[in-house]
Amino acid sequence: MLMNYKRSIFTVLMIALGTGFALSDLRIETWQGLQGVFEWSETTLFGHIGKTWGAAFAVVEAFHLVGLALLGGTILFSDGRLLGLWFIDQSIATVEQQASRPFSAALALLIFTGVFMACGVAMKIYYLPVFWYKMLALFIGCAFVYGLRRPLLRTYAESHPGLNKLVAVASLMVWFTVTATGRWIGFSG
Amino acid sequence: MNESIYQLAVWLDSTRWSTMLHESFYMYNWVETTHVLTLMISLGLLLVIDLRMLGYALPGMPASQVADRLHWPMIFGFTVMFITGALLFYAIPVRSAQSLWLRIKFVLLICAFVNAVLFHRQMRQANNSWDTERRAPARLRLGALLSISFWVGVVICGRLIAYDWFDCAKEPSPFIATVAGCVAGQEQF
Repeated sequence: MLMNYKRSIFTVLMIALGTGFALSDLRIETWQGLQGVFEWSETTLFGHIGKTWGAAFAVVEAFHLVGLALLGGTILFSDGRLLGLWFIDQSIATVEQQASRPFSAALALLIFTGVFMACGVAMKIYYLPVFWYKMLALFIGCAFVYGLRRPLLRTYAESHPGLNKLVAVASLMVWFTVTATGRWIGFSG
Repeated sequence: MNESIYQLAVWLDSTRWSTMLHESFYMYNWVETTHVLTLMISLGLLLVIDLRMLGYALPGMPASQVADRLHWPMIFGFTVMFITGALLFYAIPVRSAQSLWLRIKFVLLICAFVNAVLFHRQMRQANNSWDTERRAPARLRLGALLSISFWVGVVICGRLIAYDWFDCAKEPSPFIATVAGCVAGQEQF
């Protein structure tokens, strides 16, 4: 019987592990262990360009925003369908499948430009708590999309309308947190 | 012309609300955050539509449906962006009015608007004859490509406004000073 709930059990386990990690000394030790990686990233080509050429950094930042916009567009497109706001004559499976490619492309652009920007200001963000909040939110967002949302909708989308709305609200909240914490980094200089 | 714009900006700067908005840490940051995050609605949905026309996104969805149904949410996003953009201008009117990047951004916005009008006209003329095809006809694809280019330019210029390389206070070259709208002997920056 437990096998029917393996995804739920996995999610609860992940939350328990995450909470345990956050409350233990392991979190501090991991953070300290990552200092070398952040120091090294400032010496890479990306770090050098980001620190030396303000214009290059600004242009990459602008493309980060374009990636963010596309990510937002695809999320609104598919979440709007889950909420029953538009494209109700199209099946949820079709909308989800159609939106998956631009979503992944936007996420790839965001991560690439994000890594570039992070290299330029690595030690600054290393000491910013909000940067870590954003990374946590991004990890939860990716885990939510690829580990929960897609498998869940593939199986239950047409039979559980209430579930669709829950997924859409959770998705909007997760990705709003990702973007808002990103903006917060800008105010924490 | 530059003199009149400068005088208008100085007058705006002398108003109580401009000072209040500029000096309110939370209000200014809320307005700026809303301006940036609304990109996900406005530019995000616009990119989804443009990429559909180019055949890179939602190839299985009828193109006219995508454009029609996402049109009003996108317009809502742009409206919020323009209102918050105007408030950001109002908060720092003199520097903004003499920002080279803001001026280029305005030119690109006008280009994007004209392109959008022509794009809509061409879509109506095409009469959805290509609706289910993977890619739109060449003229519409060109319109979509121009739209993406103009808006990427708008985002880049918007990001560059924060940098003071060509500010009038830094006494740029005569050409830049003219284009940026610097006024000889101006006392406010």
